[in-house]
Amino acid sequence: MMRRRDQGVEAGPLSEINTTPLIDVSLVLVVILMVASPLAFESSFGVHKGAPLAQPAVIEDVPERVELAITGENRVEVNGRAVAIDQLAGALAPLLGTGAPKRDVAVSCADQVSHGAFVRVLDIAKLNGAANIAVAEK
Amino acid sequence: MRPRQTTGAAPMAKINVTPIIDVALVLVIILLVTAPMMSMSQLPVDLPGAHARDTERANFISLTMTADGTLALDDKALGGLAEVAPRLRARLAEGRDKNQLVVVRADAKLPHAAVRRLMDAAREAGAVNLGIATSQITGGTP
Repeated sequence: MMRRRDQGVEAGPLSEINTTPLIDVSLVLVVILMVASPLAFESSFGVHKGAPLAQPAVIEDVPERVELAITGENRVEVNGRAVAIDQLAGALAPLLGTGAPKRDVAVSCADQVSHGAFVRVLDIAKLNGAANIAVAEK
Repeated sequence: MRPRQTTGAAPMAKINVTPIIDVALVLVIILLVTAPMMSMSQLPVDLPGAHARDTERANFISLTMTADGTLALDDKALGGLAEVAPRLRARLAEGRDKNQLVVVRADAKLPHAAVRRLMDAAREAGAVNLGIATSQITGGTP
């Protein structure tokens, strides 16, 4: 305050930068980020319609698709073979990795399994190379 | 042309409108960007976390189901599962894109059977592209 009054009297050059527009725009940006940040972290998995039941004979001959059956919160069957959830990534990598003929996965899930556990299995499958995920109907 | 005010030493009566235009334009941009996102229910949903991300489309129809089974289509509440198919069919008919993405936003604590019934209802309504909503986890491995 003192400086400004001094400058007016001395008629010196006004060297202060006007920060008001900058603060205006910054505050608006803060508001945008506050509103949009919870929405920006939402994503989704595309899922397809799956056949009601697997055909085990077909899977034995040509592994056209990988059958995942979620039987419990931490129990998964890969092509009919039980696998612990922490070993699922290792079991899926050779089936879905580079060189695999088709990277389709059919998932069937038991009724009582939580949606969170179901999505965790889908996530592991996606991360290990699953291209198309079909959710089986009951 | 108005006479030069500086020579007449009249008081400057013009209000500086530049900042108000600045802020107004920024607000317009915010509304443009967030309008498609806002058509989402504000019901509390604890989405399951996931590392992988797949469908990245700004324009989608959201179908929300909370942990206690409350349903919403976009930001409108639904009475029950029986209402899902007819209301979603009407909503799909509104848009130009018949293959519009329908994202199922279901709470992580729900049993899979409930989510599957909701997805079946969505398919019955003619939803071709279905997505399961996740909350993005950054960093770490599952």
